[in-house]
Amino acid sequence: MANKVDLSVNFCGKRFPNPFLLSSSPVSNTAEMIERAFEHGFGGVVYKSLSSPHVEIVHPSPRMQGYDYGPARLAGLQNVEQTSDRPLKDNLEDIAYLKKRWPDRVVIASIMGFAASEWKDLAVAAAGSGADMLELNFSCPHMAVEGAGMKVGQSFHLVQKFTEIVRREVKLPLLAKLTSNVADISEPALYAKKGGADAITAINSVRALTEVGLDDFVPKPNIFGKGALSGYTGPGIKPIGLRCISELAGNKELGLPLSGCGGIETWIDAAEYLLCGASTLQMTTGVIHYGYRIVEDMIEGLSDFMAAKGLRSVSEMVGQALPHMCGVGEFDVSRQGAAAYDLDRCVGCGQCYIVCQDAGAGTLGWDSAKRRPVPDEKRCYSCMICSFVCPVGDPPLITYKEIRGKKPHIAARRGQKTVVSGKP
Amino acid sequence: MDAGEDCVNYSKNFSEMEPGWGLDQAVAEAGRCLLCHEPPCSKGCPAQTDPGAFIRKLRFRNVTGAIRTVKRNNILAGACAVLCPTARLCEKECSACGIDRAIEIGKIQRFLVEQSWKTGWNISADLAGEKPAARPEKIAVVGAGPAGLACAAELAKQGYPVTVFEARPEPGGVLRYGVPAFRFAAGFLGRELADVESLGVKFQCSAPLAGKGAAEDLLKKGYSAVFLALGLWEPVRLKEDAGAIKGLTTSMDFLAALREGKFAETGRRIKGKVCAVIGGGSVAMDCARSALRLGAADVYLLYRRSYAQMPAEADERELALREGAHFILLNQPVDYVTGPRGELRGIRLVRTRLGAKDSSGRRKPVAVKGTEWVLPVDAAIEAIGYRPRRGSPSWYPSIAVDGGGLIRAREQDCRTSRPKIFAGGDIVRGPDLVVRAVADGKTAARSIMEYLGGSWPTK
Repeated sequence: MANKVDLSVNFCGKRFPNPFLLSSSPVSNTAEMIERAFEHGFGGVVYKSLSSPHVEIVHPSPRMQGYDYGPARLAGLQNVEQTSDRPLKDNLEDIAYLKKRWPDRVVIASIMGFAASEWKDLAVAAAGSGADMLELNFSCPHMAVEGAGMKVGQSFHLVQKFTEIVRREVKLPLLAKLTSNVADISEPALYAKKGGADAITAINSVRALTEVGLDDFVPKPNIFGKGALSGYTGPGIKPIGLRCISELAGNKELGLPLSGCGGIETWIDAAEYLLCGASTLQMTTGVIHYGYRIVEDMIEGLSDFMAAKGLRSVSEMVGQALPHMCGVGEFDVSRQGAAAYDLDRCVGCGQCYIVCQDAGAGTLGWDSAKRRPVPDEKRCYSCMICSFVCPVGDPPLITYKEIRGKKPHIAARRGQKTVVSGKP
Repeated sequence: MDAGEDCVNYSKNFSEMEPGWGLDQAVAEAGRCLLCHEPPCSKGCPAQTDPGAFIRKLRFRNVTGAIRTVKRNNILAGACAVLCPTARLCEKECSACGIDRAIEIGKIQRFLVEQSWKTGWNISADLAGEKPAARPEKIAVVGAGPAGLACAAELAKQGYPVTVFEARPEPGGVLRYGVPAFRFAAGFLGRELADVESLGVKFQCSAPLAGKGAAEDLLKKGYSAVFLALGLWEPVRLKEDAGAIKGLTTSMDFLAALREGKFAETGRRIKGKVCAVIGGGSVAMDCARSALRLGAADVYLLYRRSYAQMPAEADERELALREGAHFILLNQPVDYVTGPRGELRGIRLVRTRLGAKDSSGRRKPVAVKGTEWVLPVDAAIEAIGYRPRRGSPSWYPSIAVDGGGLIRAREQDCRTSRPKIFAGGDIVRGPDLVVRAVADGKTAARSIMEYLGGSWPTK
């Protein structure tokens, strides 16, 4: 590796060799799988959720539905995966084996009770197997068992109650895994803290519907003629995950360490989660798409980035974006600018012109003969949508440029030219 | 097929085109399209193909709409997709060239045509709801090549009863008899011909135009207008008196024989033999590649200018080389060397150098004195051009032709010097692209309709 950077991170008093963990899901289903993930370099695992041996888990078939964007496969993934369907005893043995075989890696046992007593029993059993920490699953949005998973996460007093039950039984650090399917994720986080949680994991999958079959009108995944609203994951939910992590990190009353989760696939995603306040990172859909090997590029990529930035530890990065966040009402609107065009590199497709006309200020001109846009910096809204559709990159042909003294724009009525507002 | 000609799998060698794209490949390529404002690709096609529209439709999964755009504009959209030199037409204009490379418009268009077969989309069913009133005027189209077929299809769509007269046993013209099956298979052609027929066009095959005034006679027989799209079916020869040499043939006879399935007879003259192909155009490449597929020991392609001046498309030249043809450039064939029984023994060549530019804009080959040599060959195929049939001007004495026998017709409306008789395609242009023949067919259809007092629909 090019740069020897220490990626280790301290989280809830435990040293992780790097912040990359498998999240509780099909990718952390057995010791055999997790062992291979460790061989690729994962620093730890949140073992797939354990549930009561008294409730039989039978998975619907098929379990998942891919969501493509044009030729891009798996922009998102919908699933109806339940808690582990393996015998509890086997899972506990696997956890014990992993701790023995991989003492430097962190094994977190995810548990989900379907009743108060089950939370207690599962916590005791998981702790007994040697798990380093417990993650309480208050967030799965598609449990077949009524009143479990996300339903708990949406009933804040239950979040507190079940956390308290577990807290009374075990000394291990407790992570409460919360759902984004609430108005404000800080609220249940505070209840979890009150109940004794040491950290928050966010987010779990987002309740969603990816596709509907046009032959049979059945929502997908089509499980013998039926579909259901269920968990949506992958790159499509990263912006929601970043929102939740930055909200939690920005909440002064909470003050708990955060494990970030949702659409992490590259070291860039990882860096963004760290900068927004997460100090460990969990992933599943990236592994479902590409396999455990993705962690190798996260380790190498993040190391090179940190070396280039002169960052000596992961903890130095955590939350560094937060001071730069504010409410939308707090922006300095006295400063304005425009889209600036490097027309020497223009290929003449005219997509900028189409979107400016149909969705922007309508101020960009078009020279048909030369096949080139004709920018008007004075009247440009600086919405920048032209730059999003421009195919010329590296570096981008269309960039934002501040124009000193420029007044903000007010849209004209139909048929009129746009006008410049007198006052900011 | 011929069991005696072992080792050479003719049906595999000659009937299999390179496979077309599937939906995923086509959609991925459409995903690269920049979806231009005022798409420049849509201005690059002689036959008014609108790739900007059909690629956008494909991109937004409006696949049926994309098929409709393609097939309504050009009944031979599949033929053009496969045979067009797109690199110097629509794709040349592509804005994506500025990013990396042009969108492969021809491949997308071929996908759409093949997808229409797969999904059962059919032009006549698609047009069923907007059928114009039947027209009383009968139209005769002479020649079932690309120009004739395009004209017939367009007129049939406007409600005219159209009959296509074809000299050969089956319709298709150059698409059937002039291009090897591995480039354009009979099955592919058959499906596009079925589209033409589904519009109500009638075919009379083995019905050549012959005899003095045969074209004018069609008017007397009750046809209100005639479109002459005869094509060029007389090979240009190296030596006019060379016909009797055993082992010497022309590209026209060679390629047609293969399309008629005469593999055994044709293969016997080529398999295991040293073979020469004279010429540097597309047809020469087709002949060289066909000879290699027949099992020729060696195929020499003899061309009097250099590689860069070859009229064949760049990809065709590369394919011929890759498949094993030896290019002998800057050598002018001047004569044949024959044995005692009139059998071909060799070709006498003289080396050339490139002189000043000629009227074609290419540097002219100049023979280098004292450099004659003989290339020993067992067989030779002349592929040096086509011209109008000998005596063809007498079939239409009232029509002006040029010195080479090409019919004089106006590009903008395909009108000849004789009212009611229109002409287009190679018989007017000389050797040219399939898509230009299609363009002429479309122009002629509109011109004929307007001549007959009809008004061509604007959209």
